[in-house]
Amino acid sequence: MAKLDNKKLLACCANGAGSSLMMENAIKKVMKKYDIKYGELRHCSVSEGKSAARTYDVIFCARTFAKNFEELAAAGKTVIALKNVMSDKEIEAALQEADLLD
Amino acid sequence: MADIFKDIVEKKHYSFIDGEGVTWQEAVRLSLLPLVEDGSVSEDFHEEIVNCIEKYGPYMVFDHNVAMPHTTENAKGAFKTGIGFMVTEKMIDFGYDEDGEHKEANLFFTLSSANPDEHTDNIMQLSNVFVNDDLLDALQAARTPEDILKAAEDFPCEE
Repeated sequence: MAKLDNKKLLACCANGAGSSLMMENAIKKVMKKYDIKYGELRHCSVSEGKSAARTYDVIFCARTFAKNFEELAAAGKTVIALKNVMSDKEIEAALQEADLLD
Repeated sequence: MADIFKDIVEKKHYSFIDGEGVTWQEAVRLSLLPLVEDGSVSEDFHEEIVNCIEKYGPYMVFDHNVAMPHTTENAKGAFKTGIGFMVTEKMIDFGYDEDGEHKEANLFFTLSSANPDEHTDNIMQLSNVFVNDDLLDALQAARTPEDILKAAEDFPCEE
């Protein structure tokens, strides 16, 4: 079983309408490549994400928004902050670094 | 899946400007003018987007000098889902992001979202466009609607 199987993934951006959707698309590509059967993947705004994040396993956001999730990261939640939200390569590398891919 | 470039040309949602001395705020407004003209967005819709960029920084200026100014779904003044496509001769300065990286753009895809499904379709297509360097080069060199269509035909995106 892959490490991210059944995990809940959340992509956040300012409004939950633009780049978070692009992130979701890029995350899907990585999930497909590694044949991961994640539990849930959704996108939303940072403000919504902050309250919803506790129920998710991995939070993805653009670097600009990483500070919104600092407390959660300090509490042990995996927060992946991306320079390029469309880059499946960056997402793949970040997940590898977080030891979440196999 | 609809072809965004065909749609942009058919709806005349494109513009080509010099851009000399144009601020990014003004560029956002200009990129939306064709959408204002056909009633897709209100005259002051660009203010929503400008406020958003002022608040969060130019994180929607991506690699390859591509900008995707946008605001929330169903924002005030967005009546139809569409894309304001604009190419500028000179780079438009967006200032610096948090990491101190200088952001500038000469290719604009300014988004209006009134219908979530159409909007999602646009975003999915754009995320494939934004990683297609040959297509972006050709679009940045485009100066006519025919150039846009030719670029899209010459450098198709993977679905």
